[in-house]
Amino acid sequence: MSARIVKPGAIGQPFSRVDGRLKVTGKATFAAEYKVENVAHGALVFSQIARGKIKNIETSAARNAPGVILVLTHENAPEMKKTPVFGSDSEEMGAASSSILYLNTDEVYFNGQPVAVVVAETLEQAEHAATLVAVEYEEKQAKLILQAEKPDAVLPEHIPGEPSDLKQGDAEGALAEALYKVDNIYTTPPFNHNAIELHATLAEWSEDEKSLTVYDSTQYVIGVQEMLAKKFSLRKENVRVIGSFVGGGFGGKGNAWAHVSLTVAAAKVVKRPVKLVLSREGVHLSVGGRTPTEQRVALAANDVGKLTALIHTGFTQTTEHNNFAEQFTFPARHLYKSENIWLRQEMVHLDIVPNTFMRAPGESPGTFALESAIDELAHEMGIDPIELRARNEPDRDPVKDLPFSMRNIKEAYRVGAEMFGWSKRHAAPRTMRDGRFLIGCGVATAFYPAYQFPAAARVEIHADGTAIAQSAMHEMGMGSATAQAQNLADELGLSFEQVRFEYGDSNFPYAPVAGGSNSTISVGAAVKAACDDAKKKIHGLVGEDDASPLKGTRFDEVEFREGGIYRRDDATKGETFHAILRRFEEDKIEGEGEAAPGAESEKYSMGSYGALFCEVRVDEETGEVRVSRFLGVYDCGKIINPKTASSQWRGGITMGIGMALTEEALFDVRKGRIVNPSLAEYHLPVNLDVPNIEIHFLDIPDPLTPMGAHGVGEIGITGVAAAVANAVFNATGKRIRDLPITLDKLL
Amino acid sequence: MRAYLPDYELRVPKDLEEALAFLANEPGMWKPFAGGTDLMVLLEAGKLEHTKFFSVWNLAELRGIEVTDESVTLGALTTYTEVRRNSILQEEFPMLCVAARETGGIAIQNRGTIGGNIVNASPAADSPPALLAYDAELELLSSKGARKIPYKDFHTGYKQMKLRDDELLTGIRLPRTTKSLRHYYRKVGTRKAQAISKVCFAGVAKIEDESVADVRIALGSVAPIVLRCEKTEAVLRGKSVDERTISAARAALINEIAPIDDIRSTAKYRLRVAANLLEDFLKTVRDGELN
Repeated sequence: MSARIVKPGAIGQPFSRVDGRLKVTGKATFAAEYKVENVAHGALVFSQIARGKIKNIETSAARNAPGVILVLTHENAPEMKKTPVFGSDSEEMGAASSSILYLNTDEVYFNGQPVAVVVAETLEQAEHAATLVAVEYEEKQAKLILQAEKPDAVLPEHIPGEPSDLKQGDAEGALAEALYKVDNIYTTPPFNHNAIELHATLAEWSEDEKSLTVYDSTQYVIGVQEMLAKKFSLRKENVRVIGSFVGGGFGGKGNAWAHVSLTVAAAKVVKRPVKLVLSREGVHLSVGGRTPTEQRVALAANDVGKLTALIHTGFTQTTEHNNFAEQFTFPARHLYKSENIWLRQEMVHLDIVPNTFMRAPGESPGTFALESAIDELAHEMGIDPIELRARNEPDRDPVKDLPFSMRNIKEAYRVGAEMFGWSKRHAAPRTMRDGRFLIGCGVATAFYPAYQFPAAARVEIHADGTAIAQSAMHEMGMGSATAQAQNLADELGLSFEQVRFEYGDSNFPYAPVAGGSNSTISVGAAVKAACDDAKKKIHGLVGEDDASPLKGTRFDEVEFREGGIYRRDDATKGETFHAILRRFEEDKIEGEGEAAPGAESEKYSMGSYGALFCEVRVDEETGEVRVSRFLGVYDCGKIINPKTASSQWRGGITMGIGMALTEEALFDVRKGRIVNPSLAEYHLPVNLDVPNIEIHFLDIPDPLTPMGAHGVGEIGITGVAAAVANAVFNATGKRIRDLPITLDKLL
Repeated sequence: MRAYLPDYELRVPKDLEEALAFLANEPGMWKPFAGGTDLMVLLEAGKLEHTKFFSVWNLAELRGIEVTDESVTLGALTTYTEVRRNSILQEEFPMLCVAARETGGIAIQNRGTIGGNIVNASPAADSPPALLAYDAELELLSSKGARKIPYKDFHTGYKQMKLRDDELLTGIRLPRTTKSLRHYYRKVGTRKAQAISKVCFAGVAKIEDESVADVRIALGSVAPIVLRCEKTEAVLRGKSVDERTISAARAALINEIAPIDDIRSTAKYRLRVAANLLEDFLKTVRDGELN
């Protein structure tokens, strides 16, 4: 046997992000930063009522203001066709955030709805003129409060792909008879994404108005492309959407919000490129956030701590024009075995900005309620909360009755308990103290499904031995481009430095929305397919070539490594891509590929898990809660890049700390207007609020997924609020079921 | 929506004399613009009502920290960063340094000024409670002359103060009488930094022969103005810090402050926490744990 050094692949190595240098040197170009000749600036006028009709819209003062080119209202806007709403029942995926025909209607559906666009020579002129547009409304009674409208709640047909009411056995009956039980209501407030990059759209039409280029801060270039093609009756291939860099999205840029098509419409009318950047307030007004939730979780257990009933029901809010059900009962479908289960989600329709996906929609608020309730039951029974979870660990998916493709929760807790020093925690509340601080520790489980969506990619292997792959994927800071470059390098047997991954352009092969933590495996599978195609083409050349040492080999008898193709049975026989392409006088070999989840995925329950450990210090005099330690141990399959994945989890945990302690969008309940639309008053955690977060991951591959990997984007936030709330209970003896855990609730 | 810049005027006087002339010639017409950390926020929100300003940023006369045997005088344009880094302030007026550290972020601290913080007259400002507890005195100047006023008499109501239209705040004088005092400063906000205070507490005290020889207490975010709590101080003066005194002081403080419910907190929370902090202050100074 010939000895050869096997270089470790790129996958699994902690490469720094490929876009890091560009970002820290200011060279990464975001949507609003593209240099386009003769650009005009747009500003929106937002409705100041929640429901009604525009009686009159007075624009003359705005039109006569300095620099103003156009005031676009429902009276003079071009027609924009109705397009499918994201997540609606339509056959098509859709990208619109709502079915409201902005500026093609005089109806007002929410406070903050854009009712006019002002276009001017400068941003300052546009914003000033927008304040001069005077709108007279015929106001109607608006529905603004979830609790008040609960009697009219509706049961949606489904909550993304799952039944909205699901009963196994008789959960209420079992609860009534149970020896041990907890039965409580948990509430979470409305949240906003607050990505650091403000939503921006820059639209440029061709002179013949048959084609359109749009630079957009989006998590879904293909979706925006399809939506704009339909809205403006263009051929899809004539619409190009570019979003090379996105400064955070967290779901807030998954849909196309009103400003996207309004900017395109304004550019069409003024026959100039138009750029529109929402202000922070504009984002809060016209881009939806997360629905508040009111959740009931009831758990019953027998004397040995086995669940006999699991009930998770409740309400979210949405609008008639987007019907988005936040799936907070998803964790309860997979985490615990129980003889009797009842899950039910109802929706209340309000006159508000359409709510949307945000940082693990469903699983974030759902794990808060469920994982708090498990902790409450553990306390009630005097069982360690990790042990109680272990006693109810299912061997098959409890609702789908399918085997798990991968599930190592118990191992995650075992490792985590050791790292955190869980055995030193006092189970009785208020028994750990340091001066005026009460100290408490809590645990919770993180959960997020493993999704794969159809995607496509193309690849080019160049004569110089380098390669490029392309897909209309997104890089919003997640590290996706780095992970895909690692994947590409390993697929082709090249080094990380020899490959490049290009993304964020609808001209590239299609990729799904950057949502549902699907990008890594969806696009990863497509990149593999494209690489396979290219590799077969290369082998096709050499396999029948007299000049090649590989003549006569079958494809399965060769391997690709070190920039070339070699026989598996004789590592000395082979040649480099460079040599092959030179001989055939080609400068590149191209491959294309598509991938979709296989049939196997239907036969398994696929999810990612995490064991979270939190320590808090609570100031007894003021109720201030400081998270002093946090550890997340994750079971997310094979980790492509430990560095970028850990950053994802740390970011998610930071958001979870915000959800637990400080974040809350406050609304004036009379008018439906947000009252804290700024980073000064919508309190995200600052550096001092976030301790040094420890991360560990099991790195056990999922045999069913591409690369053995799972997405890691969203799981980070899940369970965190419960881990904090459970730690706060352990510290203070106070159980807070109403987020955020503000200081006043602890005094 | 951001205010429209062409509606505004900003002049740059070449020296202090010219600045005072602006104020004297058209009283009420021109207002000083220092670091801009409050005014620019209002401008950005479209809520900056006054439109004519003159920049005082370059007036060297309003800069610097002057130290004599009796006092330390901060130029009105002293930034939070300068306060934080000053060794005499760190030693003798530590609460002011802590307040400066807790105000905004680094960029705000580089630009925001103590004088601006005073005349912005927010009841939730974080430096004024420390200044009140340190018996600060303000130096005011107009083309007619200079005068001094104890800081505790300066604020008269919400955003109201004893500053004439023709006057400029030039300096803040701190008597160097703090060496035997114990200092206690706490800012309570939703998060650990960059949050407007729910309650801010500054207190100094001297304990002699187990009784309170000197005490000065001031709070922010509990009244229309930053409040020096002299009635509470009176309850404490000469008493030993026992449970009875603490209880009486808590009751006095609750009567003396008048917090409200707002977006950041509730009156109930503020009353309770103000009293809790007072108690912690008294126990801390009694038991000798310096903060």
